[in-house]
Amino acid sequence: MAARPPALGSPRGTRGEPRRPARNTAPLLLLGPSCVALVLLFVVPIGYVLLLSVTDPRVGFAHYQRIFTVPLYTRVLVNTFLTSLVVTALCLVLGYPVAYVMTRRGGSISTLLLTIVAMSFWTGFLVRTYSWLVVLGSKGPVVAAYQALGLGKAPQLLFTTFASTLGMTHILLPYMILALFAVMKKIDANHLKAAASLGARPGAAFREVFLPLSLPGVVNGSLLVFVTCLGFFVTPVLLGTPRDMMISQLVNQQIEELLAWGFASAVAVVLLAATGVVIGVYNRFAGLDRLWG
Amino acid sequence: MTKLREVDRGRRAFLKGAAAAAAVGPLIITDRSIAQTRTIYVNTWGGSWTAAEEAAFFKPFTDQTGIRVRTVAPVSYAKLKAQVQSGSYEWDITAITQADVLRADREGLLDPVDWAVVKKEKLFPDAVYANGLAYCALGTNLAYRKDKFPQGGPKSWADFWDVKKFPGNRSMLNNAVRSAQFALVADGVPPDKVFPMDVDRAFKKLDQIKPHIKVWWTQGNQSQQLMRDGEVDMMVMWNARASELAQQGHPVEVVWHGATITTTMWAVAKGAPNRKLAWEFLQFAVQAKPQADFANRLYYGPTNPEAFKYVSPEVARQLPTYTENVKVAIKPDTVWEADNTARIQERFTQWLAG
Repeated sequence: MAARPPALGSPRGTRGEPRRPARNTAPLLLLGPSCVALVLLFVVPIGYVLLLSVTDPRVGFAHYQRIFTVPLYTRVLVNTFLTSLVVTALCLVLGYPVAYVMTRRGGSISTLLLTIVAMSFWTGFLVRTYSWLVVLGSKGPVVAAYQALGLGKAPQLLFTTFASTLGMTHILLPYMILALFAVMKKIDANHLKAAASLGARPGAAFREVFLPLSLPGVVNGSLLVFVTCLGFFVTPVLLGTPRDMMISQLVNQQIEELLAWGFASAVAVVLLAATGVVIGVYNRFAGLDRLWG
Repeated sequence: MTKLREVDRGRRAFLKGAAAAAAVGPLIITDRSIAQTRTIYVNTWGGSWTAAEEAAFFKPFTDQTGIRVRTVAPVSYAKLKAQVQSGSYEWDITAITQADVLRADREGLLDPVDWAVVKKEKLFPDAVYANGLAYCALGTNLAYRKDKFPQGGPKSWADFWDVKKFPGNRSMLNNAVRSAQFALVADGVPPDKVFPMDVDRAFKKLDQIKPHIKVWWTQGNQSQQLMRDGEVDMMVMWNARASELAQQGHPVEVVWHGATITTTMWAVAKGAPNRKLAWEFLQFAVQAKPQADFANRLYYGPTNPEAFKYVSPEVARQLPTYTENVKVAIKPDTVWEADNTARIQERFTQWLAG
């Protein structure tokens, strides 16, 4: 208690004891700047977007009606969620073994893997997207290897749903691995030894002990990847086909090319609401406070 | 990121101003406001485009007048609206297409031409349109790789659509109005009769080519990458981008028959803080000499006919405003385009995703 600095603006009690209200306002005052920042940077803009969606250019719900009646918009919305789901599943399948090896092996292998993942994480996603253009291109190594093996004319890889999914998975994989790793490295190795001493084979020990303990990482990583993926659009535009269009691309088109801010806002609100539902479900079952380990 | 910069600049200006006011009072403030009014901010595309502008327009203008030019990239039509609505300006001048200028002017986003600064007798005919000044012209053309067609490549949109006679990978620009225009010419509509567009007929013709389009590109760099790496053999391409590849030694040929020529306009954002200086700059920028300097660097067509005096014949015939090219190109209708873009774009996006 003695180490606590005097509260801002509170009259130091003449009898040595600070007065009661001052003790309560100090933490609130410290919270002030971040609250102001949150309100200015998040609450106000999102409120403005909400307002725009029902007032620009006319007051009403016409934009929302259009989103749910014109097939294009529902189609893109559904595609956005399906794509995010597929990418999340792929990241999980590819990322889990990597995170597992990183945790269980330790030492130089773990450091090496962590370095590779972090390097990939820090490389700009535009750079990584353009690298796929080279790798999968008609003069790229994949096509060359295909022909060198005498398999004939290579199938078209670039500008397909496959390429777009691959690109997004590659970009989001580090998020999944790091989220899994953060949880896995906290699992006490003695638990597995205990399981073995009680007669569990390695497979059973993994299934019965390690996997359930790593589930929070699975949920965290999946949420991170899924929500980030919902907002993607450059990668599908560059690597995929027009059929792989994501919702943010529509928002961009409406804002940049057509100056239709009201409609763009409505699309953004629908995306926000849908994302909110996903996070709400997560919070119900896993608890948001556990997201960061 | 640009948002951050804007905030940062405001903050810095404020801090400087506050410090100056505290220190010496009105004397410094006056000095500072003069320095500030002698700079204009121009919204530009960045990269080689901005480098060419720097050499052709900005540097000569600063040398002549002492007014500094700062650039902000990339061009954002949406930011024009955002600036005017919020009253907080990151730039004074932008460069957008003629149809966009018309739409922006209708929404009241543009500063009216300041005839106290701009002298009518110093402008060429048709320089002013909807409160914008004609900057340069851009061709959207059929381009192909000569090495893929030793017997002679496609010469028209009808050839582009003819996948039996001219087999090969194709790519088109992801733009509704351009694609519809080309489809109509491919279907036999004379280039000067494309507008008003028969949109249904255009989409019917587009249906035929859709399965053969390997990629619908969206960015200029991307189009060059597709052509340079041989991903496609023929494609819709901006003339300047194609000529740039040819200049670098790639076997690229540009077709002018049935091309569209769009005029890019300079415009001043309504209420922009440096509007007077902005108009002074624009008056300078549409003169023949700087226009020719720009065309010589990037193959965009000068809008000022006088500029061709300073362009070599070799470059001139590659420019969108070269008389022979204009003759065979699609005759534009800006008003129709501005009125119908949103409707066609929605249909096109749906068609592409279907």
